[in-house]
Amino acid sequence: MTVKTLLLAGGALLASASAASASGFQVNLGGQKNVGMGGVGVGLSLDQAAMFYNPGALAMVRDNGVQVGVNAAMARISFRSENGGDQRALQNSVVTPFNFYAGFGPKDAKYKFGVAVYTPYGNKVKYADGWEGRYALTEINLQSIYVQPTFSYAITPQLSVGAGLMILAYGSVNLQKDLPLPTGPGHIELDGKAKTQFGYNAGVFFKPSDKLSVGVSYRSQINADVENGKITYTGLPTGASAALINSQFTANKFAATLPLPAVASLGIGIMPTDKLTLGFDAALTFWSKYRTLDFAFSSDNGGTGLVGNRPTSTSVRNYQDALAFRVGGQYLVSDKLAVRAGASYDFSAVRDGYVSPETPDANRAIGTLGLSYQVTDHLGVDASFLFEALMQRSQSQQDLLNVGTTDRVAGTFRTNAYIPGIGLHYKF
Amino acid sequence: MKLFIKRSAPVLGLLGLGLAGCQPNIDEPKASAGQANFATYIAVGNSLTAGYSDNGLYLEGQQNSYPSILAQQFAKVGGGPFVQPLFDGANQSNGSGYLKIAGFVNGSPSLALETSSLAVISGSQAAGTNLLAKATASAQNQNLGVPGIRVADVQTAGYGFNNPAGFNNYFERLLGSANATASYQQYVQERVNTLKPTFFTNWLGNNDVLGYATSGGVAPMTTEAEFTLKYNAITDVLTAGGAKGLLATIPNVANVPLFTTVPTAAVIAQINATPIPATLEPTIKAALGLPQTSPLPAGLRFGFYITTGAGVKRLATPSDLLLLTAQAAINVPSTNPMQPFPSGVGLEIPGAPAATVTALAASSNALATNFVLDQAEVAAVQTRTAALNAVITTTANQKGLAVFDSNTFFNGVATNGLVINAVNNSAAFVTGNLFSLDGVHPTPRGYAVVANEMIRAINAKYGSAVPGVDATQYRGVKFPQ
Repeated sequence: MTVKTLLLAGGALLASASAASASGFQVNLGGQKNVGMGGVGVGLSLDQAAMFYNPGALAMVRDNGVQVGVNAAMARISFRSENGGDQRALQNSVVTPFNFYAGFGPKDAKYKFGVAVYTPYGNKVKYADGWEGRYALTEINLQSIYVQPTFSYAITPQLSVGAGLMILAYGSVNLQKDLPLPTGPGHIELDGKAKTQFGYNAGVFFKPSDKLSVGVSYRSQINADVENGKITYTGLPTGASAALINSQFTANKFAATLPLPAVASLGIGIMPTDKLTLGFDAALTFWSKYRTLDFAFSSDNGGTGLVGNRPTSTSVRNYQDALAFRVGGQYLVSDKLAVRAGASYDFSAVRDGYVSPETPDANRAIGTLGLSYQVTDHLGVDASFLFEALMQRSQSQQDLLNVGTTDRVAGTFRTNAYIPGIGLHYKF
Repeated sequence: MKLFIKRSAPVLGLLGLGLAGCQPNIDEPKASAGQANFATYIAVGNSLTAGYSDNGLYLEGQQNSYPSILAQQFAKVGGGPFVQPLFDGANQSNGSGYLKIAGFVNGSPSLALETSSLAVISGSQAAGTNLLAKATASAQNQNLGVPGIRVADVQTAGYGFNNPAGFNNYFERLLGSANATASYQQYVQERVNTLKPTFFTNWLGNNDVLGYATSGGVAPMTTEAEFTLKYNAITDVLTAGGAKGLLATIPNVANVPLFTTVPTAAVIAQINATPIPATLEPTIKAALGLPQTSPLPAGLRFGFYITTGAGVKRLATPSDLLLLTAQAAINVPSTNPMQPFPSGVGLEIPGAPAATVTALAASSNALATNFVLDQAEVAAVQTRTAALNAVITTTANQKGLAVFDSNTFFNGVATNGLVINAVNNSAAFVTGNLFSLDGVHPTPRGYAVVANEMIRAINAKYGSAVPGVDATQYRGVKFPQ
């Protein structure tokens, strides 16, 4: 099979396939091989991405290696107001979650160490101008980058453990919405960087035979704390109403905390033949920690600051813990070529009536495809494609009233996401 | 690694675009007219139908009238053009003139009358009535809203005829020379004959109780019998050609800012708490027939007195509703040398014998009846509103028409407010977004809300799927920049 026919075959596969992210604003794109297999990896020791999926499995990864992957996540969100009217869409944008791993260990040593850089949470949404929910949200961009030094030790040839120090090395939030002022719409932008925070990622990997492996892992919660975030207003009045209205918007700083919740995972790997690897994962993300989104406002000059005449704002989230089930397989077609496929189903973190424009979450079905091609003995290319379909989800104004969430909009959301990804790995 | 991301992102983007071009579609029942036919729509009613706002009728209000919003939405399900008697945008856009916020004094809006670019012309034969420029498109007019009209007026010949005895100037501007003396019902008949409407709305009736309320119980209310007769007569005109339509009920006037903004309980408390100045003591003692040497009676304090609709002076209770205009009329110093108290103020001794209570009330400078809708009047308005609304719903049921129960709806708004697309609205004056500066008529946002509620009622009745509007795109009370 030549490279050309391969690509053609791959293209055809991609066109009919799918794969994905995870509940809430979680991003489950830890490694390109894993992405191609429906996001499984806790019960496998595929490659250096084990540092993300299960640090315990790192010691069982045969080679040393460096690998990098990048994904182009394109979400297509549609919204239609409860009232009817035109269907609204996002201003399309591409976000690029990435991953980087470098794992080393002396040949035949019982231990391995490495460093991982990945983006476990993130979200970018920008709605079309003038959409119904503009006073709830026009735009959000949430980014987080974890850096994770990792150590893994094989206690026996069958059992290994590992742990990593998760560092929230970079976190930022940018939140924008329109203000319903009596002088006409204004606009507010909150922009802040999160403080560096620490957590841990730990796992145990057990491989009783060549045909079976089992893993458990736990990533702890990190709170993204923003202090001294910046508030920028546009469209506030400058004339007769300025004194009255602008006195309600005196804040230019904000503080907020966003939980990046813990994840507990259990995975099983089955290797029926040398060529075939199957993975099954179940993951529970502890979203129930996300109760409210609170902002405290302040100002440089004098301390107190107001937004909409209030020193704080609270928006209820009441997220629920969210389960995800994933299954995926890899088949080694030849020494050089591996093909993958997988699927997963992620339950929504957001309860009925709590769907907000910044995370129009719903139960999601995900399908993935992937392949790797070993260009040389050392260098290989990994490609993946993930499609996810979020179930259409509606909430009425009455639903919002019932649970006290009228700070968002009533209507129907539907989202599809398309995430092609590519990676390079170098092993030695 | 950055470089790798940089280089591969466009490639991935291109790959994705080919696959990801498709926006998910939200399947919904397509907009449809159901059993209704919106091809030709006419609107019958009063100031609310005309788009009256801020104590005036002007171009912006007309453009945001609920019939105009309805017609714009009907157009998505087969509705045709909708012609309104708009004021000339070039130099008469401010129509009758209207109230606007000129600025703020101590955080409170100071209102001013817009007097430029009016449509007021000379030639009125009645004192105190402005003659307005004729509507230019009167031959096509489909918005028949006439500010001020009651159901009681619909059969009055010459209701819009320019004459010294007085006339409705908003009706006058709709009429041509051929039908200058027509009654409103005759005018509607002519419109129906000419336009052959397939759909109509009729929101008449408000002024049959509102006039009584806004005058503090001075102007009479329309009787149920007269209302029934004339309401059915005009509705018959509309349905004679088989048109479907919607009737709207009369909202409880006690919920509008005109009656809720000045809080009676707070005024009572404020007056009660004001200490009696020593300079007034001799006058009080003289009035009470006490020797100047004796102290003031125990418990004596200022009280808030009103004049009821029956002409009785009595202490106000929180159940009496004060009009917006009462704000400026309370505590005005008396010009009568025999009257030591400012307006609304008198003396009270809690727990005093009946004779003393009566005497103190008689000596008070009670607030005039036109500034207050007393408890009995409130009850009278509500009873009559309920009776007239029963007539409206009965008529609708008999004729198989949709009903917008504005009374129920605005009661809900008054109690709970109304959140639309994350924006809070309420029945509060100025800040509530829904009621304009006259405290009775809606703002453009209020009219958009009304249109949405009417669409809801129409969709429910006729199995149609007319889409609503995003009411937050319509303004509330406008503040100067």
